[in-house]
Amino acid sequence: MVAIIEKRDLRDFDWLTTVLAIAIVSFGVWQIFNAQPTESYWSKQIIGLGIALVAFAVVGFSDYRRIVDAAPIFYGIGLVLLLLVLTPLGVKVNGQTAWLKLPLIGQFQPSEFVKIPVVLMLAKYFGARKSGNLKIKEMLIGVAILAAPVGLILLEPDAGQAMTYFPLLAVVFFLSGIKIRYVIITIIAGLILAPAAYWVGVKTGKIKGYQQERINVILDPESADPRGYAYHTIQSMITVGKGGLTGIKGDTETSQAKLKFLPEPHTDFIFAVTAENTGFIGCISLLLAYALLLSRLVAGAREAPDRAGMLVIMAITGGITFQIFMNVGMVLGFLPVIGVPLPLMSAGLSAVLSTFIAIGFVISVKMRRFVN
Amino acid sequence: MKLYDHTQNLGIRVGTIQVIAFVLLTILGARLYYLQVVKGEYYEDKAENQRIRKIPIPAPRGAIFDRHGKLLVDSRPTYNVTLSNEPIKKIDVTERVDDYARGLNVDRQYVVERLNLIKKQNDFETMVLKENASIQDITWVEAHSMEYPELRVELQPQRYYPHKEILAHVLGYVGEISPKELEKPEVREKGFRPGDIVGKGGLEQYYDEFLRGKPGYRKVIVDSRGRVQSEIETVQPQAGQDLVSTIDLDLQLAAENQLATSTTKRGTIIATDPNNGEILVMASLPSFDPNIFVQESTTPEGRKKIAAYWQDESRPLYNRAIQGRYHPGSTWKIPESVAGLEQGAITVANSHLVSGGGITIGNKFSRCMGSHGSPPLDYAITKSCDGYYYRLGSKLGIEGLTKMVETFDFDKRSGVDLPNEKVSQTPKSWRASIEKREGKWSDIRTVYASIGQDTVVVTPISLIRAIASIGVQGKMYVPHFLKEFKPIGAIGNENESTYIAARDGFGFQRPEPKLIPMTPEQNALMLKGMWGVVNGGGTAGAIKIPNFEIAGKTGTAQNSELNSGGAKDHAWFVSFAPAYKPEIAVLALIENSGFGGSHAAPAVKGVYEAYLSKRNGGQTDNQEVAKK
Repeated sequence: MVAIIEKRDLRDFDWLTTVLAIAIVSFGVWQIFNAQPTESYWSKQIIGLGIALVAFAVVGFSDYRRIVDAAPIFYGIGLVLLLLVLTPLGVKVNGQTAWLKLPLIGQFQPSEFVKIPVVLMLAKYFGARKSGNLKIKEMLIGVAILAAPVGLILLEPDAGQAMTYFPLLAVVFFLSGIKIRYVIITIIAGLILAPAAYWVGVKTGKIKGYQQERINVILDPESADPRGYAYHTIQSMITVGKGGLTGIKGDTETSQAKLKFLPEPHTDFIFAVTAENTGFIGCISLLLAYALLLSRLVAGAREAPDRAGMLVIMAITGGITFQIFMNVGMVLGFLPVIGVPLPLMSAGLSAVLSTFIAIGFVISVKMRRFVN
Repeated sequence: MKLYDHTQNLGIRVGTIQVIAFVLLTILGARLYYLQVVKGEYYEDKAENQRIRKIPIPAPRGAIFDRHGKLLVDSRPTYNVTLSNEPIKKIDVTERVDDYARGLNVDRQYVVERLNLIKKQNDFETMVLKENASIQDITWVEAHSMEYPELRVELQPQRYYPHKEILAHVLGYVGEISPKELEKPEVREKGFRPGDIVGKGGLEQYYDEFLRGKPGYRKVIVDSRGRVQSEIETVQPQAGQDLVSTIDLDLQLAAENQLATSTTKRGTIIATDPNNGEILVMASLPSFDPNIFVQESTTPEGRKKIAAYWQDESRPLYNRAIQGRYHPGSTWKIPESVAGLEQGAITVANSHLVSGGGITIGNKFSRCMGSHGSPPLDYAITKSCDGYYYRLGSKLGIEGLTKMVETFDFDKRSGVDLPNEKVSQTPKSWRASIEKREGKWSDIRTVYASIGQDTVVVTPISLIRAIASIGVQGKMYVPHFLKEFKPIGAIGNENESTYIAARDGFGFQRPEPKLIPMTPEQNALMLKGMWGVVNGGGTAGAIKIPNFEIAGKTGTAQNSELNSGGAKDHAWFVSFAPAYKPEIAVLALIENSGFGGSHAAPAVKGVYEAYLSKRNGGQTDNQEVAKK
């Protein structure tokens, strides 16, 4: 493989983005260790990073255009995997059947990976179109591309993962010349309809009691039952606040995670562990690193040789941004508790692998910016 | 860039997405600043509060001794099964109730009560589920430690009353502070918490603050399930102070024996030192076993026993010596005689009053027991001549009787160092309500009051206090049990915040005795009469002891108003000895037994005999052994 890497490839390779992504994962490994020092999650994450880097290199040095051309195949494979999750091959964890156990490959979470074929499929379809405003028919096709995997994920049921698919379509629509008035109408409608829908949901009993509780704790954490559904949110806020300006600097003896007050410290609540250990300074540094990474991705999009490449990068950027906001917002207690991992930080091979494959596409696009 | 189609404003749109991303990250940063920098200390406190727990180390309670150092109450190590809140906070444990009740042999209802109580407490509180756990209980808890992590075995010093029913009313018992007590602000101020052990009744309650030690604690770090992870500091408890009482256990046993062998086995015996008010004996029968309250209050059998005590019509939980109120009968003639002399109704030179075998007031004739002509005071006391006192009472009138009540403190508590002492009731306390009800205070009531009937009921403790004063020139001491509290050393280093200062020993702060106005001549006349009761052919001549002259007064209190279907009279004997230089005063009251001279006086004699054999070198212990 090295043989086919040309000199030009290495020169155009985006080292900064790569190093930033690896740095964030490494920082994450330290926090995973802080969260669960007696478990092997941190070492598994290092192995995961190794595997992810191999996949990243393969994707990065491939020609993304050929992969985009083959998007329907990947998309089909993705749907099959999501279907298999719903068969007895699926593995149930915490009431959700989001995992698939396959011989030789092992256990993984298809909903993490299927984002990539969805992005490719959207890029293939919308990348081919010419200028002009987005038509209704095109929008319906975009919705259809998204609907199939999201529907299957909702059957698992994993509402959190399903939500992470919407920004992909939103970004693609936005960058495919959707009329600004539609965007504005959507935003206004959202602002009005979301509370209305919530109210109707509560009245009709469609929104379950625990879901209501999770919303209520966001609105008024002090009066919520600290032992009920508010537990995660309250403990997460305590853990973050306790970190203060400089954090407890890795002293895990009395940490919230070590004493098991903080649930899921190495996955969904890894940011709380980071906040506790490194304080405001560490957290702001991490957010700045994310900002820098996202800027690099956007810069890559601006230099993309074609519309499909630009859409791939921007959809991935939108997806990562959305996940960071949902996850950290949950940890900081102003968004409801929804199981969305923090990209590059949360322990989990599937998430790290899929994120690195996504960044691999960015690298691939950027490397071909002067082609044509 | 060539791709950028100006009709779609792609450059601006990409830029918009970038700006939105930065705005979202900025929101996160601002929220972080609020949580970590602005409210950092608040959350640090919250985190500390949920991870740090103080586990109290109970302080051993001070022991109680008799005046010669014989042990009356002690604490011994026992094991408690405790219930922790944390592991069961979030789960429904109703199906475990039966298991707990069966496994630990505790009352099912009690388990339910405890569960309800603990669920109202803070997360990390624990509560005793079973006291005095047996080996079987401990084994059961250990065997179910995986299933029921909320149950734990803890060492706890437990109160132990080796003499059981003996002295039970005086000593009292201990138990958990009641929720009702805890609602009082003054109790909360002292830092009491649910589950704290406090004295209930008797000396345990009266001197609780000194007997109770200061608990220590272990400050530990716990995880979210309440499991101890590490220890931060340990502060040792300071034991309570030992109490040396004025009780003489040997005399107490003799008195208890007298009551136990009396006809009705109901009554009280009190012995004091008339020279200072120290109480040597206070027995009240029927009695109860304080150990049941301390050790068995959680078992079904124990709860039944306690309920039986409360329901028993003979009222074993009530201390007849300070809570019982009885007509004094003829014993009332002693303070009345002093009042007669003091108020000038009679004089030492001429104390004769016509006895006449009775008196007619209105259309009622009150009869005297015998016909004593026109006796002097000493003879009237010796023979307990009712006719004499009908006339003396009439001469004193209701005003004179009221003054007498005030002189002898029958309108007050004696001040004995026990809780829940009752006040005697006298014409003074009844007068207002009777005058309101009947229009006037009739003379017949004065006559009845003059022989200690009708409107007069007194507590035995107030009566012995009043009558014993005759032996010591009218000095009425406050009766008390406290001889001294032993000092206890300091705990910890003086410079540390956990330092507990030493507590000094101290004795009873004896108030000045109340002086009954009495000339030596008047006193001598009184003593002559009381001496005669036992030694001069009086109403208690049968209990005469050679070389030990008892001065006393019998009393036979009618209690027809009890409606007990012709219940027999209460028998009284109140005395001190030796008559002219008293060392000890003894009172006996035997309920519903009959004449004072034949039922109460012999009981008093038994106590004197025990006293004498002890004073003359013979140990009562040895005698008991010899008898066996």
